[in-house]
Formats: sequence, C-alpha cells, structure tokens
Amino acid sequence: MTDVALEPIEDVEFPDDVHATSTGISNPKLAMWTYLASDCLLFGGLISTYLLYRNRPGNIPGLSGSPLRASELFNIPFTSMTSFVLLMSSLTMVLAVNSMIRGDKERTRLWLVSTAILGAMFLGGQVYEFTEFVREGLGFTSNVSASAFYTLTGFHGAHVAVGVIMLLSAAVYSMRRQLNAEAVEVLGLYWHFVDIVWVVIFAIVYLIP
Amino acid sequence: MSTTIDVDDDSPAHPGEHHDHGPSDGTYFKVFWVLVAITALEVSTYFWDVWFGESSWNLAVPLLLILMVVKFVLIASVFMHLRFDSKLLTRIFYFGLGLACIVYVAALSVMNIWTDNGNPWFNDPPPAVTPTTVVEGGAGG
Repeated sequence: MTDVALEPIEDVEFPDDVHATSTGISNPKLAMWTYLASDCLLFGGLISTYLLYRNRPGNIPGLSGSPLRASELFNIPFTSMTSFVLLMSSLTMVLAVNSMIRGDKERTRLWLVSTAILGAMFLGGQVYEFTEFVREGLGFTSNVSASAFYTLTGFHGAHVAVGVIMLLSAAVYSMRRQLNAEAVEVLGLYWHFVDIVWVVIFAIVYLIP
Repeated sequence: MSTTIDVDDDSPAHPGEHHDHGPSDGTYFKVFWVLVAITALEVSTYFWDVWFGESSWNLAVPLLLILMVVKFVLIASVFMHLRFDSKLLTRIFYFGLGLACIVYVAALSVMNIWTDNGNPWFNDPPPAVTPTTVVEGGAGG
C-alpha cells in the first residue's frame, strides 16, 4: 500500500478568492448584471409615470395644485453641463478599471476619487436645480407633474449618491488592503448604468418637449 | 453519469481572474469624444425651433431618440464591456431592458399616451374649469 500525500485544503489557492462557477462568470458580476437588468424596470416605471403626468399640472377639478410644470423651468444649458460631467465620470471610471488591470494602485485610487468628485458635482447640480424649482414655487407636492419629476430625478440622484459612497469606500479600502480588479469592474458597471439611465432621462425628460 | 454544462466560449476560464480583454485607454477616449459630440448634437436640437422654425421638431424628436439609443449602446458595449464579456451577460441585461420597454409601452398605450383623446387624467392637458350653475329644487330635489 502506498501512502498518498494529500495537500491540506487551506493550501489550495483560488484566484482572487473566487470559486469556479458553472457559467464561467463570477457570481458578483452576474449578480450585478441581474440587478441592473431589474433596475431597468424600476426606471422604466418612473419614466413612464413622468410621461403620463408631465402635461398634468394643477387646475384639475377637485384637486388643488400649482399650474406650473417642471418643463417650463428647465435650464437646458445648465443640465447639459451636468450631463457632460456625468459622462466624464464614466471615462474616469473606465480609466480606473484599466489602471487596476495593469496593477497601478495609485492611479486606480486617483481615478476612483476623480469619479467620485465628478459624481458629487453632478449631485450638486441636481440640488441646485431642485432648489431653483422650489424657489420658483414648484415643490414636490405642488402637482402630480412635479411629484413625478422629483421622484424620477430624485431616484436617479439617490443612485448617484450610493455610487459616490461606494467609490470613496473602494478608494479608502485600497489604501489598507489589496483591491480586487473585478470588484472595481463591478463597481464600474453600476456607475455606467447610472450614466446610461441619465442618457435616457436627459433625452426624454429634458430635451423632447 | 456525467453532466455537460454549456459555457460560452468567450467566458473566462477562471472567474475572478481578471483578463486583459477590454479596450485600451485610447479607445475609451475616442468613444468618450464620440459621446460628447452626440450630446452636443442632442443639446443643439433644443434650439432648432429658434433657428429653423417649429416644424424642425418633426425631425428633432426621432433624431433625439436615435441618438439616445446610440449613446446607450455605446456605453453598454464599450464602457460596460458587454462587447468583450460573456454573451450571457448581454442576454440578461437586454432581456431586462426589453421587458421594461414592452411592459411600459403597453401600459402607456393602454392609457392613450400616443393620442390626444381628451382624457383629462392622463397625458393631455386638463380641461378648463367651467363654473357650474346649481339649480335649487332641481330634479330629484
């Protein structure tokens, strides 16, 4: 009888601590794409609701409300600038992913923080826009048109805020421990999704009258 | 007994092990400038009624929708790596997107969003409020 030397299980190394999957795609990535697909339904619902109600300000019999519409207050040059900022943040995000693939940690951190700053700038623009609208007399409960507008853009803003928090968390984490290249890519997927949702909102809500 | 699992040929052999399969920084910059140019064209349509008259909207609206789709696909394909990743991810994402489009286009159609049918509750501007006269001792009084 021959002795077989079994290797202790703890010595077996999986790449990046990820186990093999039947699809060949890692679970975090698959989960993120599934989440993004489901998020399409959320934003589809919000955009549809806005389209349905956008021409319905106040003056409905039995309902009080401001006759003002959000579309009358749009500042297209300003919103174009914030759209450009968000687009630029997508570029800095892919540069972060590429830097991570190359193993350049310093640059990865730099691009992650840059993306977070651009995202925060976009959020600042949204807060400014909302403040201007409220100053003009269009609050969240002014009429159904305003409620639909604030809910749609507010949900998008909340997604951006969550993204900024995740980006900053990743940047801080990378200072202490080794950041997984795929984690940065999955984070990037979320961030780009926020950008493509804005592409749709900007065209349908802001530009098409 | 053996079980065979079909795996896309382009799937990474070792999940979690990142492969250098994405575009270079230069490609990303090129795509970014294309996106900026498309956005500039989109924004310019906002001023078309001033420059070319209100009839220009007949061209602007379909153009805006096409440009929106082009931007969407460019970002999803290149920035989100759908073009370079497993086809399964493309199917998952576009299934969700397609489902959302079908569900909401159907819902909006049911609510007559495409037509000006005078329904005061959806889409169309509400009817003007007209004062009503209450007749005392009228029918049923």
